[in-house]
Amino acid sequence: MSTKLSRRSFLELTGLAGLGLAVAGCSSGPPAGSATWAMWSSSAAERKVWQDFSAYVEQQLKVKSVPTLTPSGPYPTKLDLQLVSGTAGLVTALNGTLIPTYAARGAHRPLDDLIEGDSDFDLDDFYQPIQKISSFNGKTYAIGFDVAPTVMYYNKSLLQKQGIALPSRTEPMPWATFRELAVELTHAPDQYGFTCAPAIDDLVSWIYCAGGNVMSEDASRSILGEPEAMEALQFVIDLFVKDKVTPPIKNLVTESSLSNFLEGNVAFMQNGPWQVVNVRKAKFDWDIIPFPAGAAGSTPRVSGSSFAIPSGVREGADLDLAWKLLKTLTSTGALDIYAKAGRNNPARFSAGSAFQPPPDNLGIVQDILAGKVAGGHPFDVTTNWNQVKQLLGQDLPRTFLGQVPVPEAIAGVTPRLDVLMRQHLDNIRQATARRG
Amino acid sequence: MALTTTTEPVPATAVSPSPTSKPTPRWRNRESLTAWLFLLPSLIGFLIFTAGPVVAAGVISLLDWNLFSPPTWAGLRNFARLGPDPTFWSALGNTAYFTFVSVPLTILVSLALALLLNQGLRRIAVFRSLLLLPYATITVAVAFVWIWLYIPHDGLVNAVLGLFGIHGPAWLISDNWAMPALILMSVWKSFGFGMVVFLAGLQAIPQQLYEAARVDGTSPWQSFRNVTLPMLSPALFFVIVTSIIGSFQVFDQALIMTNGGPGTRTTTLVMYIYRTGFENYDQGYAAAQSLVLFAFIVLITATQFFFQKRLVHYDN
Repeated sequence: MSTKLSRRSFLELTGLAGLGLAVAGCSSGPPAGSATWAMWSSSAAERKVWQDFSAYVEQQLKVKSVPTLTPSGPYPTKLDLQLVSGTAGLVTALNGTLIPTYAARGAHRPLDDLIEGDSDFDLDDFYQPIQKISSFNGKTYAIGFDVAPTVMYYNKSLLQKQGIALPSRTEPMPWATFRELAVELTHAPDQYGFTCAPAIDDLVSWIYCAGGNVMSEDASRSILGEPEAMEALQFVIDLFVKDKVTPPIKNLVTESSLSNFLEGNVAFMQNGPWQVVNVRKAKFDWDIIPFPAGAAGSTPRVSGSSFAIPSGVREGADLDLAWKLLKTLTSTGALDIYAKAGRNNPARFSAGSAFQPPPDNLGIVQDILAGKVAGGHPFDVTTNWNQVKQLLGQDLPRTFLGQVPVPEAIAGVTPRLDVLMRQHLDNIRQATARRG
Repeated sequence: MALTTTTEPVPATAVSPSPTSKPTPRWRNRESLTAWLFLLPSLIGFLIFTAGPVVAAGVISLLDWNLFSPPTWAGLRNFARLGPDPTFWSALGNTAYFTFVSVPLTILVSLALALLLNQGLRRIAVFRSLLLLPYATITVAVAFVWIWLYIPHDGLVNAVLGLFGIHGPAWLISDNWAMPALILMSVWKSFGFGMVVFLAGLQAIPQQLYEAARVDGTSPWQSFRNVTLPMLSPALFFVIVTSIIGSFQVFDQALIMTNGGPGTRTTTLVMYIYRTGFENYDQGYAAAQSLVLFAFIVLITATQFFFQKRLVHYDN
């Protein structure tokens, strides 16, 4: 049987269908009582780990787990929009460098009351550096899921081919030795001694090892111009510009120490254990050693990431579920999944055994964090770290290119850094007043 | 013979009003209502997505707002911050440099190619499609390809220059060459649009005008200057206005190819606005910058429309 549809009826039906779709679109969202959480994820392998986390959450909490996975690049912007619009999950992942930024703006809530009221939760099972990284203004704002010091990767095959003795697995080599070795191993343009990113994130490890810092103890001013930091900056820039032991910089945006190292013709790469999972694809033998020791020893940057609860989560059932979810996501069981997948060193001592070789010397990561080998320095950041990083990202790369001498670049950048430090202190004052 | 009758219906507004009834307002005419109905979707879109944000930016520019804490009144403080901010002026200068070099270059290339394609070439559609391809490709993909083309030692650009004995610079990391590199890529990316508009304009020029010019004994250059250019001026005007507006908003290629560096040599105003608003969480200051950019674009476009009366010839 065929039914004729008049033009008017057709238009009415189309309108109704459109309205229905719009209503369905507006009402879509996770069902009430779901464990919603946000995380960055830039590869299929990473996605798999977070899906396993999600399954673990469902198994433990007996509620639906709804992770929102976003590539790491746009993650902060998306998170901002979700936080502002009140659509963020109950728990959100935060890179350690941004925890003070979010905490100072009141975007996330302190967790101290929840920690104190929960006898099952043992904060002491987390490495000290990740506790520091996850705190702001004397309060704990997040619970870590990974933490690791920067280490030095080396191409074992290349050193052996050159007849050079392999470096000590536990004793950090002095800077001078490292430089000699890098020079000896450089045969440009076929082979280079060292690679790192021409950015503050990598430079800061050398600065800490020399006893310097980006900011003063009270974060009231920049101390990049002081002798310790200047010595470190000059040392690294010289490796690029004077000694030319690094592959030539082709582009400041896509420059990647990892891809340089994976080429197989670079002896040493500065990077974190979070790259172990990628370096495992290398077609040569490699390992890791402690970061070279400067005047203050081997105290490279220690960084990590954490989970936090947005301030918008309502007290009561939502907050209860958020805390349970956060505890589950940072539990030994969940971090075992993370570490077994080789993503990075877990933030808990009790999950440490899951982060297994290769490389052979992977154990030094936990030994460094535990203070048994060499040392580390939690990444000191401000509440406006994006701006600090942006400013340094504009001016420092030119020193790596030999376009501007280090003293000139630092003299140019210091007054603007001092302004940012003052803004940072203002942010802390405002955050304290808001909390009070 | 004077026409005394018409077959067209007399417009409602043309009917003499009776002394007792008021004339129907124009907006209540059936024709006007139909026109408004057709305009409505576009008008709603304009109000929500263009006029609304402009008004919102005006309000936000008077506030201190980090997105999360409640906004506080700042008055004109955000505008006062523009003066001593070296990055803002550098970004504005870079944007002006980009615009005033890339727009004339793009127009020259587009016009030259349109003239070439208008010579009655065989398979013109194939050439037209090929030349339009860069414009149809997304900027992100093109930018990544050009990063590889610009690699100092192994890149295609320097390899070609090397054939002529020229030692090419390290394009994207050089103080002096980073911006020209972006401009070159942008010209390549966008000439296709102007070319198609010019080609349509050229094909609409009546051939009698050229024949008349030939009879008058004009040279090809005189013919181009006195026939082609005046007849093409509406298309030229359209391409100039849209290209300048687009160039003032340059963002993606600079972000991907140089991230604004080295230093701030390729930091454009829109890039700086984005960073201020969404990386530094300073919404009020970002809104103030965007209003300044808006004012610049309005000013330049208004100036162009002012000169249009003298320089653009419409064949009506």
